[in-house]
Amino acid sequence: MLPLTLLKVAQGHSILVELKNGETYNGNLVAVDAWMNIHLRDVICTSKDGDKFWRMQEVYIRGTTIKYIRIPDEVLDMVKEDSQVVSAIKKPRMGGRDGPRTRGSGRGGAGVRGAPSGRGGRGGRGGYMARGRGRTTNS
Amino acid sequence: MASKKDSVISADLHKFLDKRVRVKFLGGREVAGMLKGYDTVLNLVLDGTIDYLRDPNDLHSLSGETRELGICVCKGATIQLICPADSIEAIPNPFTPQPDS
Repeated sequence: MLPLTLLKVAQGHSILVELKNGETYNGNLVAVDAWMNIHLRDVICTSKDGDKFWRMQEVYIRGTTIKYIRIPDEVLDMVKEDSQVVSAIKKPRMGGRDGPRTRGSGRGGAGVRGAPSGRGGRGGRGGYMARGRGRTTNS
Repeated sequence: MASKKDSVISADLHKFLDKRVRVKFLGGREVAGMLKGYDTVLNLVLDGTIDYLRDPNDLHSLSGETRELGICVCKGATIQLICPADSIEAIPNPFTPQPDS
């Protein structure tokens, strides 16, 4: 569950955004983008000390000024269902990706287990190095 | 549908053109002005700008006084929040428990 994924799912729900300066904004999440910039509707702004309140039709909040966001529990349930659907769709591809990975680690394992024979190979490389040195002495 | 790289703010700013917007900046400054122009990084051109003066001891609370700035360019990187200026109204605490509940 990625932060921006959760926020995308929370679109249309009421959320609370606290800014770095301590002000909080309660409102309906209309849109969120890749920078976590947020568009809220029917907003109630609360001052830092919590004793002044303003109603605003809509606000646009810069993502960089956000401290944290509270999201209702029902969104959490939705994102769980959502991720199950996504993983069901992605399963064949995931399997495909897992395959090579397993094989890759298998190869690695074999390499370690076959270390003695592997060293033979490295010995060959040593031969190349020797040749290189040989060339240096020749020139 | 907006692309992944579109900002929700600059994508919607066109609807505030020639309308008064309230802008809050990093550090607590607040201004309101008629939006005359903007760009992708959220630099704004405001006309008839009013700066809301603040309590010198608490730079995050407004003193109620204002001063005229006229036309000005606002640097996008320092902007925290934008909202339509006419839709703001101070209200009593809406979170106090209702007598019914």
